[in-house]
Amino acid sequence: MIGVSNLSVYLGHSKIVDDVSFEAEAGAFTVIVGPNGSGKTTLMRALSGDLPYEGTISINGTSISQMKLWQMASMRAILPQSTSLSFPFTVREIVKLGMTSGHSGASRHATETLPDEALARVDLAGFGGRFYQELSGGEQQRVQLARVLCQVWQPVLDGHPRFLFLDEPVSSLDIKHQLIIMQIARDFADRGGGVIAILHDLNLTSMFADRIIVMHRGHADSVGTPTEVLTDDRILRVYECALKVGGLPEVSVPFVLPQSAML
Amino acid sequence: MSEAVLRKPAVLASVWGGRKARPDGDRSAIARTVIACLCVALVATVIFSLAFGASDASVVSVIKSLISGTDGTESALSVRDRIIIHDIRLPRVILGALIGASLAVSGAVMQGLFRNPLADPGIVGVSAGAGLGAVSIIVLGGTVLAPLLALFGLYALPLAAFFGALVFTVILYRVATRRGQTSIATMLLAGIALGAMATAYMGVLIYVADDKQLRDLTFWSLGSLAGANWVKILASGPLIALALVISPFLARGLNGLALGEASANHLGIPVQRFKRIAIVTVAAATGASVAVSGGIGFIGVVVPHLLRLVIGPDHRYLLPAAALLGASLLLIADAVSRTIVAPSELPIGIVTAAVGAPFFLWILLRRRGILDL
Repeated sequence: MIGVSNLSVYLGHSKIVDDVSFEAEAGAFTVIVGPNGSGKTTLMRALSGDLPYEGTISINGTSISQMKLWQMASMRAILPQSTSLSFPFTVREIVKLGMTSGHSGASRHATETLPDEALARVDLAGFGGRFYQELSGGEQQRVQLARVLCQVWQPVLDGHPRFLFLDEPVSSLDIKHQLIIMQIARDFADRGGGVIAILHDLNLTSMFADRIIVMHRGHADSVGTPTEVLTDDRILRVYECALKVGGLPEVSVPFVLPQSAML
Repeated sequence: MSEAVLRKPAVLASVWGGRKARPDGDRSAIARTVIACLCVALVATVIFSLAFGASDASVVSVIKSLISGTDGTESALSVRDRIIIHDIRLPRVILGALIGASLAVSGAVMQGLFRNPLADPGIVGVSAGAGLGAVSIIVLGGTVLAPLLALFGLYALPLAAFFGALVFTVILYRVATRRGQTSIATMLLAGIALGAMATAYMGVLIYVADDKQLRDLTFWSLGSLAGANWVKILASGPLIALALVISPFLARGLNGLALGEASANHLGIPVQRFKRIAIVTVAAATGASVAVSGGIGFIGVVVPHLLRLVIGPDHRYLLPAAALLGASLLLIADAVSRTIVAPSELPIGIVTAAVGAPFFLWILLRRRGILDL
């Protein structure tokens, strides 16, 4: 379980995250939503151990301030929004970097084929020999996810659940790959791991999330299930946009929801 | 069968064309083959360098002489040739190999550290810092810095250069890197400022230098392996050897750092400690080389770049391969420099710059995009 209590984070002198508390259970898919500048990414960076903070953050009961980098690396993996490289790595070489910490949890025999398996999971089978820099933004994002998956391949290791932190994992993906990536996160949670993701798409969030944390001006405005959280009032207040949950467009306007996919 | 047919051209393309990796993207086999070939090439270059020069000895007799040792009475070489080879060429070849290796490795480590294929101690002012340290000892060793000279003896020069390089690397890193991201433009501009600063201070020192010191300084600053002897190897060798021994342990960290500082941390790599070790290693390798041989440019940027085209940027292979190729290339450059205008000789820095600078421009032409960041 990821436990966050009374968390405040400063960037320079401004308080970006203000007194946030929540718990993200293992086995659950927790999604952080909120408008631009509401503190989502800063919250994620604090969870990742990148920023100093006030309050407590714990993974499986241990405060991350007391954990060594390699211990954290064996318990959680983090997908950044985007990663640019200055050297010509092949896709396979990048994915293999995910196994640096040596706690993938895959058997010794499976370790050799793990990069290929991870690439197949993100629908990039056969891309191992391509150069990372020559891929499109969406493909690069999926390569990074394959790398991150290699780091915590088994959602539960030695009885301890492990966690995936995903910062806008589907931001540059087409609808098919959005669904594939969300399904990977869902599976990870179903197999006993925990997932915390930042998303902008409320439909995908509602479709896959167990719990939603709504960030608003640095505060956690609300924490709950999609049904509890996604209400007209709250969306108006947080996003300053008068939307109607479940509202349909005019009959003549086509609309496509991810929920209609035949998974 | 079909797999072999498919793969062989890919391997060849990777060696000759430099752009295609094996279908599965695993270049470790190619890298190991290249490293083995570079080992053989280095041995061949060493023997060739010993035999080749203003006074020619046959390759076979050189090998025999090396095996039988300095006092081998049945040596195939004349006494004169033996002296030339053992007391003049052998120290020069050893020093050349050490310096070539250390320049290439410090280039590769620095590029990994700054996440930037253009970072090279010679280009971003670190060599200038080392030079300032060395010049200070050459000019002020008799007066202001006499206590240092007395304390460290023949190690004073390489240590002063190491210290100069260290200070400049730390300043450069502080200026060019913010929150783990290095700005290429800031790095290059800071390098220009640091270089100008070092040149200015060196100018002051040159102004107060006497005639003998001036002559020493001029030859030193052009970059030369002439005057290599066992004492110089003893003085600079340990620092270079230390840097070369540490460098393989930096490989894992440099690979992680390619993803950015935060992601490297997330992989469990202690980035802060690792960066400190890398900076000291670069400073030691650069400082010790500059102290002996002055400014030998472009080995540090050309060698890693060539190797990345063939074996990829995985530092576990890149660092040893760079050491081997750097050593071989510098020995070849040295062979050219001491024979092209024989019986006189050209400072080696002129040879490496004449070949390396156009090559550097070619890299820029091909990869102008990276400067637009």
